Amino acid sequence: MTDGMRERDNGHRETMIRLENLSKTFPGQHEPAVDDLTMEIYAGEIVVLVGPSGCGKTTTMKMINRIIEPTGGRIYIEGEDVTTADPDKLRRRIGYVIQQIGLFPHMTIADNIATVPRMLGWDKKRISDRIDELLETVHISKSYRDRYPKQLSGGQRQRIGVARAMAADPPIMLMDEPFGAVDPITRERLQDEFIRLQQDIQKTIVFVTHDIDEAIKMGDRIAILREQSKIAQYDTPERILTDPADEYVEDFIGSGASLKRLSLSRVQDIQTSDWPVAGLNDSHDGVRDKMQRSGKEYVLLLDDQRKPKRWVSMADIEHNGIPLSEAGWPAVAIVEGRSSLYDTLDTMITSYKGSAIVVDDAGRYQGVVDFDAVLQAIESMRPAQHRDGRAVPEGA
Amino acid sequence: MNSMGFFEYLASRWDDLLELSIEHAQVVLVSLLIATVIGVSLGVLTYRRPAAAQVVLAIASTILTIPSFALFGLLIPLLGLGYKPTVVALSAYALLSILRNTITGLRSVDPAITESAKGMGLSNLQQLVRIELPLAWPVIIAGIRVSALLILGIAAIAAYVNGPGLGGDIFSGLSRIGGANSLNLVLGGFLGIIVLALVFEALFAVLGRLTTSKGLN
Amino acid sequence: MRSAEETRDTTLAEESWESPQTPETGGPSSGARKGSLLASKLVRYLTMPLILAAVCVGLYLWVGSLELDSIEQRSLNREVITEKVIRHLEITAVATLVVVLLAVTAGVILTRPVMRKVAPYIAAVASTGQGVPAIGVLVLSAILLDQFGFKAAVAALVIYAFLPVLRNTMVGIRQVDPSVIESGRGMGMTKTAVLFQIELPLAVPIMLAGIRTALIIVVGTATLATFINAGGMGDIINTGIKTSREPILITGSLLTAVLALGIDYLAGIAEDVLKPRGL
Repeated sequence: MTDGMRERDNGHRETMIRLENLSKTFPGQHEPAVDDLTMEIYAGEIVVLVGPSGCGKTTTMKMINRIIEPTGGRIYIEGEDVTTADPDKLRRRIGYVIQQIGLFPHMTIADNIATVPRMLGWDKKRISDRIDELLETVHISKSYRDRYPKQLSGGQRQRIGVARAMAADPPIMLMDEPFGAVDPITRERLQDEFIRLQQDIQKTIVFVTHDIDEAIKMGDRIAILREQSKIAQYDTPERILTDPADEYVEDFIGSGASLKRLSLSRVQDIQTSDWPVAGLNDSHDGVRDKMQRSGKEYVLLLDDQRKPKRWVSMADIEHNGIPLSEAGWPAVAIVEGRSSLYDTLDTMITSYKGSAIVVDDAGRYQGVVDFDAVLQAIESMRPAQHRDGRAVPEGA
Repeated sequence: MNSMGFFEYLASRWDDLLELSIEHAQVVLVSLLIATVIGVSLGVLTYRRPAAAQVVLAIASTILTIPSFALFGLLIPLLGLGYKPTVVALSAYALLSILRNTITGLRSVDPAITESAKGMGLSNLQQLVRIELPLAWPVIIAGIRVSALLILGIAAIAAYVNGPGLGGDIFSGLSRIGGANSLNLVLGGFLGIIVLALVFEALFAVLGRLTTSKGLN
Repeated sequence: MRSAEETRDTTLAEESWESPQTPETGGPSSGARKGSLLASKLVRYLTMPLILAAVCVGLYLWVGSLELDSIEQRSLNREVITEKVIRHLEITAVATLVVVLLAVTAGVILTRPVMRKVAPYIAAVASTGQGVPAIGVLVLSAILLDQFGFKAAVAALVIYAFLPVLRNTMVGIRQVDPSVIESGRGMGMTKTAVLFQIELPLAVPIMLAGIRTALIIVVGTATLATFINAGGMGDIINTGIKTSREPILITGSLLTAVLALGIDYLAGIAEDVLKPRGL
């Protein structure tokens, strides 16, 4: 199986942001909020800074665009030392999304998005085209251009916030709990949309959250921070879940690391077993024959488009009088190949037979997974015996 | 001519100034009392009727927009000169903040509290007297305080139409500009009113604390 | 005359502070509510001018029906009244303009982070101005400037009306959501750009309320300018009192009230018009 579908470090990792011995002590405080942090952030990745509140993750992020000025250390962006560069010019190259969104309430959606392009001196036509393009990207109708933020729902505002941050196509985006202020269902949708979007735009994203589940979901790489922004572990979600560096990381992941790990793997990546299938229009004899030859107790019936329809047992088709389309019971435990193992397991548990049917995007039958297959997959996720931490080779 | 220093002047006219201050405070207090009775009553009657509340608030705020000198001018033909028009005008000016704060205060009482009072079987009147007014009181008293400061200053103008108080000294100082003690007279009246304002502030702070339930801190 | 008028702007400030949620969140009745909102707005817009016009017409008819003696004729003629009204408006306009310029500037300066430590003290000093008698400020201003007339009147009115504009500017700027400012800074807007494009526009509604209050204070207090020989509507009222001529007194007082209410009315409309959309 291929570990970690979303892992993208395939050899040529290019550093986009480098923080070097970065420190911040706020005036009037003795202890630094961020103490001697050094880390590299690679181009095109979502790096999630995660840690308990007060650990300095937000301070760290805000030092990258110098909303908070560091008291020590250096910041490099694309190899250039920007520690003392003009902060306003620097910020125009970096998209910025915060939890409260901070849309300008007195400006229309279009004007909000146009803020940075205008400062960069784009011409009107280009700005206008860009606004339309971005609205489409974030799935907001162009008719919203002249609306004001208060006329939008929370989720729409968040989308506009993201669009505004991307307006001048900055290579880097900083996102501080960007989905923290919306309801859980909207959050999930925004997260999914953003992951899909990121596959196209390939920005370098520094993402702050206190929610480990969000970190696992969003991150190509996660930095788990402890007090004063000290890195407890900086690794891919897969490795953080399977091989936590220490007790602090384990505690932070919390219980159910293995279950969380399941949400990173897709069902299409594990071994599905072949199951006897027959067509809804087949003869009863043909189906009975298939069942006997396979040695299984049930046969899955597919329709013309190979979509799973019903399960039948031998007893269900003893009598030729009942048409196959009414025999047995309907096949409902169906998952798409893209589904995570977590969702698959969930479906299996609630299903009648303890197995799930895997289908492709069009709903066509691909195979069946059962508990054994999932268990096997979990088994293979465990780190090597001696926890050398790098048991799984890079880019596996 | 203009020989006397201000402190010398104060020492020599101490009695008069004190008497004028008491007069000034007295007319303000009487007006406040009238305005409070009217304002709180109107507030109680209208706070649950938005349309009615809007109308009374609009009237009170229109009154406040009428320049004081013009209002005195309008009252003279009706009430003559002196004490009466002063009290009427000052009460009218004091009305708005008391009325508005009464309405605001009563409306800001947590509905959960009135609901639980209702649930315990308190009548509307009992609710008002025992729950809502005590809870709204800090806001109401803040309104009375603001009104007090306002009419302390306006009362000075009333002196021009033979009203009582410290304004008289400001006008007599004005009428003998260049003459002996003119500046002293003006300053005495002016500072006297400011001192009164500070005294009122202090009194209201104490009164507010004494009359507000300790549970409201 | 000052403090209670201030309560108006403070309350306004607090209202817009505490209820950022918008009333128009849809719902089945929102159409009907919008309709009645429009109707009540129309009533609000029409009531005052109608009342004021009625008062003026009534006054005109009443005065016209009187046999005026020579003293009354000297005051109650078109030239004199026009001159007084214009003078009154001049004083009001100049004082209000100066107040707005000075107090808004002071408010902006006092809300800069550099001033964070001293601002509360300055604001406290400014607000002890409450309860100061207007007539005292006028007379003292004239005595101290050693000059009776227009300049002394304007100086006194500026001092007297300074506080509401200053305070509302400060409150208005301070109530701007810090996350909006942060996102502006985060996108690379300069401090000046943030001030002019974000902070001030968002402070406008509260600032306007303060300016309107100041305007009303000025237009009312300008009536007292007559006592330091600066002219204006107070002249007519004062003549009425001194000569014991009720027609003069009533005409002066009513016209003054109409003028003040009319200006307040226009200021209210300006407030509605100038408010940035989207708030």
